[in-house]
Amino acid sequence: MAQEADFKCLRCGTITKLPYSPDAELQERACPKCKSNSMRRIKEQKEARAAK
Amino acid sequence: MAYSEVDNVSGYIGNFKVTIRKKARYVDEKQCNACGECAKVCPVAIPDEYQMGFSSRKAIYIQLPQAVPSSYVIDMKTCLGNNPIACAKCLEVCEKKCIDFDMHDEFVTVDVGAIIVAVGNDVYDPTELDEYGYRSYENVITSMEFERLICASGPTEGHFVRPSDRTTPKSIGFVQCVGSRSQKRGNPYCSNICCMNTIKDTVLLKDHYPGIDLKVFYMDIRAFGKGFEDLYMRSKAEGVQYIRGLPGDVEEDPKTGNLIVTVENTTTGKIEKHEVDMLVLSVGLLPRKDSEVVRQLLTLSKTSDGFFMESHPKLKPVDAPTRGVFLAGCAESPKDVKDSVTQASAAASRANIVLAAGKIKVEAITAHIDPDLCKYCGLCVKVCPYKAITQTDRKTKVPAKVIEAACAGCGTCGAECAFGAITMRHFQDNQIYAQIDAILEENSQNKVVVFACNWCSYAGADFAGVSRLQYPATNRLIRTMCSGRVNEDFVLYAFRKGAPIVLVSGCHFADCHYINANRQTVLRVERLWDQLEKKGIRPERLQLEWISAAEGQKFALVMREVEEMRKKVTAKEVEFTKQALAPKKKEEPKEKKEAAKTQ
Repeated sequence: MAQEADFKCLRCGTITKLPYSPDAELQERACPKCKSNSMRRIKEQKEARAAK
Repeated sequence: MAYSEVDNVSGYIGNFKVTIRKKARYVDEKQCNACGECAKVCPVAIPDEYQMGFSSRKAIYIQLPQAVPSSYVIDMKTCLGNNPIACAKCLEVCEKKCIDFDMHDEFVTVDVGAIIVAVGNDVYDPTELDEYGYRSYENVITSMEFERLICASGPTEGHFVRPSDRTTPKSIGFVQCVGSRSQKRGNPYCSNICCMNTIKDTVLLKDHYPGIDLKVFYMDIRAFGKGFEDLYMRSKAEGVQYIRGLPGDVEEDPKTGNLIVTVENTTTGKIEKHEVDMLVLSVGLLPRKDSEVVRQLLTLSKTSDGFFMESHPKLKPVDAPTRGVFLAGCAESPKDVKDSVTQASAAASRANIVLAAGKIKVEAITAHIDPDLCKYCGLCVKVCPYKAITQTDRKTKVPAKVIEAACAGCGTCGAECAFGAITMRHFQDNQIYAQIDAILEENSQNKVVVFACNWCSYAGADFAGVSRLQYPATNRLIRTMCSGRVNEDFVLYAFRKGAPIVLVSGCHFADCHYINANRQTVLRVERLWDQLEKKGIRPERLQLEWISAAEGQKFALVMREVEEMRKKVTAKEVEFTKQALAPKKKEEPKEKKEAAKTQ
């Protein structure tokens, strides 16, 4: 099964699961509710800390 | 070069270097006179792929009767070889002594000015469509298998028989759109050829076997080419029954091997059962499985259906986005013979223009690298979709260099360079900063800064305009060649200057005119969202949107939506942003450096 991650729509605020894999090619993402492409991945806290 | 594969491609238009792997045939093709004595003694027998498994072939074989050169080849995967198991019977009988088990693959490098991609297609495997019983029932075959059975050089020498009992069928059903035009299974696109292929097959069968009963189950018949409607009418006139509706179930009568097809006739609205001796599934076309290798070698892009994308669907339908590369046949989309030949002729003509010219004219919208400012990081090399920037070397301090013949001017490299070493010869940094200044000079609180890709979203704005679609006048567009050109600092500068909302917009992923440059846009926007959030600024204030040239309505809608978002951004929030993003005292703002550089 394809990997998924949580994404937040920066237009309408919807949180949804979309296909995501760190190694996979980037995909065009759209909010299932408002169709906006401003979909931001909600990173895990550990991951966010490591990024800092 | 037959029986060969492209191993590597480097260079650019007019100067491609192609390395070709000539696969070992284990038979000297110049000596072999195709007498066939070797195949007669070969003890191996495996299903013949070319005959769709309806007949067998030997390990030493000719792939198809019309193969060029007409020479045998040994399939080493199945050959018993001469070591360690001593077979080598072919070696013994070959009078010409042209079999050589020690033959190796050869690599040949050729210089070419242009490349035509004609990789062909695969066909859909209908196994997953349980209701049709392919693989379960012997007399359910695909249209490809049908072609072999009806072919004079096929396994039955053109005598059409059904697989279960080798008898000539008295009735045949054809099921259309197998693996095509389905959102759930198979592919959503129309495979273009299946309707006419089936109509041709029915006419062919009626010619050979006038008494045969033929039924075609279809969604709708698409006979749009020259003479196609006539052939459709001819098929109907010859008594072929066209039933509108796709079968929901196929069952086999175990005694006779006949098939009972259950279908809802959508013309009458009734469920019907039809008994046929044989069922042919009209399978759709797929992009070649191994076309990904070619895509990577030639830095091509694919559309969402997996076929290669042309440079422009209307104005450059045979050109690939990479200059000097052209597409022919099903590499670009499903095509019939006529369309494939037409496109191949067009591709050959386009390639000939490149070759005949001798020189390449380059548009002056390329990147320029200042070697003194280059820090040899190589990021520009990584992001260039055209491989138009030569490799840098930090150790020997070799700066990056742009191959102008290969550069398409997307500006992705310019946006990536953190040292200001790359200047675009068009839409220069200082010009973009000046536009941001002009937009936000007055009433910045009421403005939305929109970076719009020249090819898609900017054209979408044009389309919205000519369609008289209303969108707020507070949205101000800055045109860039590609959304990949949008430097992170352009966005931050706009926020520093008081922009409540910034929108970055470009082409849909499958439509990027610069292969995959807009993927860099996503990465930059994601970095910016993180950066803004870290500084306590709402990331929502930076919006990202893919808008095509035909999506005038979407453009207008997005503009209205971001305007609504703008209204909710307070003056206090904007002021906080300005302070949060203000350069530190000692740090000179990048735009000033840029301005100083260009003065």
